[in-house]
Amino acid sequence: MGSYKQQPGSDASEIRRDGKRVAGKQSFPPPGSGGSEPRMRPRDLDYIPETVGGREPKPAGDHIHDRARTGTSVGKAMPLVDSNAKVTGQAWYGDDVRLQGELIGKILRSPHHYARIKSIDTSRVEALPGVIAVATGQDAPNRFGVLPVTKDEHAMAVEKVRHVGDLVACVAAIDEATAIEALSLFDIEWEELEPVFDPKLGLEDHDEPIHWRGKYHLARTNVQKRVFQEFGDRSLVNSPHASSHGTWTMSGVHHGFTEPHAVVAHWDPNGRLQLYTPQQVPHYTHRALSTVLDVPMHQINVVRTFVGGGFGGKSDPFPHEMCAALLARKAGKPVRITFDREEVYWINRGRHPSHIDVKMTADTDGRISSFDIDALIDGGGFASFGHVTSYYNGVLATAPYELGSFHYTGARVWTNKPASGAMRGHGAVNTRCAVEVGLDEMAESMAVDPIDLRLANLLPPHSRTISGFRITSNGMREALERVREGSNWSEKFRQLPLGKGIGIGCGFFISGSGLPIHWDPKNFPHATVHIQVDMDGGVTVHTGAADIGQGSTTAVAQVVSEVLALPVDMIHVRSHESDTSPVDLGSYSSRVTFMNANAAIRAAIDVRDQLLKAAWEMLGYHPNVLVLNDRRIYYKHDPSIGVSYLQALHKAQEDTGALIARGAYRSPPMGGVHKGAAAGLAPAYSFSAYVAEVDVDVETGRVSCTNVWAAHDCGKALNPLAVKGQIIGSCHMGLGQVLSEKMVYGRTGHLQNANLLEYKIPSVHEMPHVEAIIVESSDPEGPFGAKEAGEGPLLPILPAVVNAVYDAIGVRLRDLPLTPDVVYNGIEKHMKTLGLDDPLDLPSPRLEHGPLQATLEARSEAHRERDRLRQRSEDTSAYVNGVLFGFDPNRPLAEQVEGWREADEPLPEQLAELGFAGRAWLKKEQRHMGGDA
Amino acid sequence: MTYGEAGTTMVSKEHVPMIPTPKGRAWSATVNGQPVEVLAPSNAVLLDVLRDKVGTLGVKRGCDLGTCGCCTVMIDGEPQLSCLTLAGQVEGREIITVEGLSDGAHLAPIQTCFATHGGSQCGFCTPGFLVTSQALLNTNPSPSRDEIATAIEGNLCRCTGYQQIIDAVEAAAAMVRGETAAPSPASDPHHDPHPAGPEEPTMPPGHAK
Ligand code: FES
Ligand code: FES
Repeated sequence: MGSYKQQPGSDASEIRRDGKRVAGKQSFPPPGSGGSEPRMRPRDLDYIPETVGGREPKPAGDHIHDRARTGTSVGKAMPLVDSNAKVTGQAWYGDDVRLQGELIGKILRSPHHYARIKSIDTSRVEALPGVIAVATGQDAPNRFGVLPVTKDEHAMAVEKVRHVGDLVACVAAIDEATAIEALSLFDIEWEELEPVFDPKLGLEDHDEPIHWRGKYHLARTNVQKRVFQEFGDRSLVNSPHASSHGTWTMSGVHHGFTEPHAVVAHWDPNGRLQLYTPQQVPHYTHRALSTVLDVPMHQINVVRTFVGGGFGGKSDPFPHEMCAALLARKAGKPVRITFDREEVYWINRGRHPSHIDVKMTADTDGRISSFDIDALIDGGGFASFGHVTSYYNGVLATAPYELGSFHYTGARVWTNKPASGAMRGHGAVNTRCAVEVGLDEMAESMAVDPIDLRLANLLPPHSRTISGFRITSNGMREALERVREGSNWSEKFRQLPLGKGIGIGCGFFISGSGLPIHWDPKNFPHATVHIQVDMDGGVTVHTGAADIGQGSTTAVAQVVSEVLALPVDMIHVRSHESDTSPVDLGSYSSRVTFMNANAAIRAAIDVRDQLLKAAWEMLGYHPNVLVLNDRRIYYKHDPSIGVSYLQALHKAQEDTGALIARGAYRSPPMGGVHKGAAAGLAPAYSFSAYVAEVDVDVETGRVSCTNVWAAHDCGKALNPLAVKGQIIGSCHMGLGQVLSEKMVYGRTGHLQNANLLEYKIPSVHEMPHVEAIIVESSDPEGPFGAKEAGEGPLLPILPAVVNAVYDAIGVRLRDLPLTPDVVYNGIEKHMKTLGLDDPLDLPSPRLEHGPLQATLEARSEAHRERDRLRQRSEDTSAYVNGVLFGFDPNRPLAEQVEGWREADEPLPEQLAELGFAGRAWLKKEQRHMGGDA
Repeated sequence: MTYGEAGTTMVSKEHVPMIPTPKGRAWSATVNGQPVEVLAPSNAVLLDVLRDKVGTLGVKRGCDLGTCGCCTVMIDGEPQLSCLTLAGQVEGREIITVEGLSDGAHLAPIQTCFATHGGSQCGFCTPGFLVTSQALLNTNPSPSRDEIATAIEGNLCRCTGYQQIIDAVEAAAAMVRGETAAPSPASDPHHDPHPAGPEEPTMPPGHAK
C-alpha cells in the first residue's frame, strides 16, 4: 500500500523534511494511529476461541459472537477504566458537585412513627435571615415510586408521616448552620396514630392502614402484596423419605455503601433542570422527576455522578432528589443536599427483615419431592421494589434443583419503619439461605454427603425450571465440583474437631430481569449503546449504563475494544448524562453487563462492518477473508496485504463524516403465562457454590469465618480481576449479614443503630481468605458468553457459614445474624437437651454414609455426561423439570400426573393450612368485600 | 400517651438560636506542599475546611463520626481522621490528602497498584485507604499482609472485601522497593510512533486464519 494520504492530491512524502509547508498544503500533522506501539501486535491466540482458530479452550461450546473476538481485551484482567480518577481523588461523587452560588438544603424529618400532619406553619422559617426557600408536601402532590404499579411516595409527606425519619419539609439556606437552625422553626400540628412494627400484626386489620389502595386494598390490613404459587404434584409431599422444616428470623440489613446520598439540583437559565445525583437507575429518577415536578422529561438532564457504592440502595427515585429540585426551582439557585450517615438509614431500602419458613421433602431415591416456602417480609413504610421482592423470595428458589413440587406463599407488609427495598441478591438471599440449610439437614437425615445430594438433583443446562424459567448455560455442577476439590471437602466434612466446621451453600440468580419495569413505550430495548468514531480514530461510546463501582463502563469499553481490535485506551465511554446517553434501564437485577455489553457488541459490529467494507474497496478482498487485528485490517492469507485502521476509517468516512452506529438489546420473549410468571424471568441465570470454613468458640459463641472457596459461574469473565473483586466483595457483604449486621429496632420501634459503629460491617480482620474460582459456562445469549457476577455471588455465603457452624458445634441456628448471643443461646439449649454442663463436651456431628449415598453418586455421575452434552448443544432434546421424576418433557405435565397443579391462588380447602404469610389469603380485597363484609 | 386518641400534640419549640457561629479567622497550614490560608471559624472541623475552603474534594465524608476512614489525611506523616480533628489543632502543620500523593498524572506506586490490583471499585473509600497505606509504606517498605491489615483496620470498604486492597498494598511495596517497575504516565508526551497506523506484521502467511 502507498503511504498515508493526508488530503486529496497530497502525499505525506510531500511534507518537507525541514517541516516547512509545501505550497498549497496545510502543515498540520497527520492524525495519529491511536496506539503507542509502532508494530501491530500479533493476534493473541490465547484469547481467541479455539472454535475460530485460536487457542482459548471452549469446553462449554461455541458462542454466537466468537467470530467477533479479536483477542484484544476480553478475558484479560485489567484495571477499571475510571480507576485513575478514583485513585487521584478526582472522581466526583454526589457531594463533590459544587456549583457557583449554591445553597445548602436540609430536610425536616418526622419525629413520629405514624402521625397525621394537621398543619404546618412555615412563617417563622421563612422569616429567618439566610433562608431562601422552603418546601412542604403541598408543593409536590404527585406520587411517584420506582414501580409504576406501586407509586406510593411523595417528595414530602402530604398527609401522613409513615416512619420516624420520613420527610416532612425542606429548606434551602445560604449555609448549613442556617439551614439546620431553620429546621427548628417549623410549627407542626400532629395527630399521632397507632403504629405497626411487627410484620405479623401487619397481616391483621388495622384502624388506619399505612397506605390505602382503594378497591384493591386487602381488607383493612397492611399487606402490600401477597403471592401464592404452586407447581407440581403435591401428593409427593405426603409420604416423604426424609424431610426438613426450619423457621427463620432474619434481621433487616443495610447496603452500607460508603458514600451517603447527595444531590445537587440546578435549573439552568433556559429553565431546564440539571440534577446531579449518585444514582444506579438514573432513568427512573428521570421519569419520577418529570411526574413530581410536572415538567416534560426532555426538560430534565439527569447527571449521574460517580456512585460511591450502590448495592441496590441507590436505585429508587428518592424524595430528597425531588426536594432539591423543588428548592432549586423556588430559590432560582443551585441547591445541594447531602445526607449524614443517620439519614442514610432513614431512607434505607435495605434487605427486608423476614420470617421464613421452609419445609422440604425427599423421596426414597434421594430426589427432592417438594419445597414449601412461606415468607413474610417487612416492607417498612413504602412499596419501593417490594412487589418484586415478594415474588423473588419464592420463585428464585425454584432452581438449580429439580423439584417434584413447589409451593410458595409470600406477603410483604407495610410497617412504620424505614422502607425496605432492593439489596444485592434482591429477594433471593434469605430464602436461599433457608433452603440450602434445609438441604443440609435433609442430607444428614438421609446419611448422605450434602454435595452429592445436590449434584444428583441439579437441573441440566438448557432446561426449564418447575415455574417455567428458561435455564440456558449452567455451571452449577462444575462450581460444586471445584469447591469440593479446592476445599479438600472429603477430608474435612463431619471430621473436624469441635469448634471447627465446614459447610456448603449454593446460589442461583437472575442475570438481568427479563421484563423492564416500565412497559411504556412498548417493545423498547432494555439497553442501547451509541458509538461514534471520528477521524482521530478514537471511539466514543455513549451508554446510559450506571457504573456504580462494579465496572460496567469498563465492560462496555472492553467489548468495543475487543470487536474493533483497538487498545482500551482508545475507547472513551460517556455515560453520565441523560442528555447524551441513550436510555438505559439502570444498574439493578444484575442486568448491566449482560444487556449493555450486548448492545455495545452490536454497535461495535456495525462499526466494524463499515470499516471492513471500506477495506474491501481499498484492497479488493471481501470482508469474509479480511482480518481485523491491532489497528490494522489485512488479507487473511497474507498479512502484508492490508490497510491500517486509520486508512480504512478515513475511507469509510468519505462523504459521510464520523462513523456512527447504534446497538440495542432486548431480552427474548420467554416464560409461562401464570400470574407472576414474569417475576424472576431472565435471559440467563448465574450459579454459584461456596464452601466456608469457620471457627466457633463454644464457650462464647463467637463465630469467625476463616476460609472460603467461592466458585461462581459468570458465563465468561470479561475481566477476571473485576469478577474476582465482585466475588470477594459479595462474600464480605454476605458475611456481614450472616455474622454481624443487623438493623436493630427497639421495643418502641425505633431504629437504634443508625451509624457505622453499631451497625457492624466486617472490618479487614473479620474477612476470611477467599479463594475466588471463576466458572465459565459460556452463555449463548450473554456478551461473549458472560453472565452476571455482581449479586449472585452473595447468596451462597450465608448458608455455607450456617452449615459450617452446624458442622462445628452440632447446633442448627436459624436466627440471623449469628451473633455470639444467638450462637451461645443455641449452644446452651443444646447442652440442656443433651444434659451436658460443659460446652467443650459437645459432640461434633459425624457422618456414616447410608445406602442412599451410592445411589446419589451413581446418579450424579450419569448426570455429568448428560450435562456436558447439553451444555455443548450436542444434545438438544427438550428438558423440563420433572424428567428426573420420569415424566416426558414433550407432553404437558398436567396430562401425565393426576394432581399436577400450576396455581397462583390457593384452593379454598388449602386456606386452613397455609403458612404464616399465607394467612394474607384469608382476607379479601375491598372490591370483593361488598356483600359479605 | 396512648395512640389512636384524637389527642393532638403540638411541636412548637421555642426558637433556640444556634450557638452563634464563631467569627471566621485565618487558618493556615501546608496542604499538599502548598501553603494555604483560609478564613474558617475557630471551631471548624478539618474535614469541612479541607472540603469546603481548601477545595481538596478528594477527602471524603462517609460518616462524620470516625467510623469509616474515608476522610483520612496525613498530618506530619501520620494518618488521621480529619472528621475528628479540629482545624485549629493542626494549624501550621503539614497535611497531605489524596491529591498530594501523585504528581499530575504521575501516579504514586500505591495509586497505580490500587488500580491494577482491583483495590478500588466504587472508589469512595479509596482516598482514605491510599493515604493510610502510603503512610504505612513511608515507615515500613516491606509490610507483611498482617501488618497491612492492621494499618487499614480503621478503614471501611464495602465493595472489595479488602483482599484486593491488601494485594495492592503488597504490590506497591514491591514497586517502592524497586522490585517492579512503575509504569510511565500517559500524560507524558508520547508521539504517535507511526502516524499512519502500525507497520506490517512480521507473520507468516496463514497465521491469522
Ligand atoms: S468521615 Fe471521618 S471517619 Fe467517616
Ligand atoms: S471501593 Fe467502594 S467502598 Fe471501597
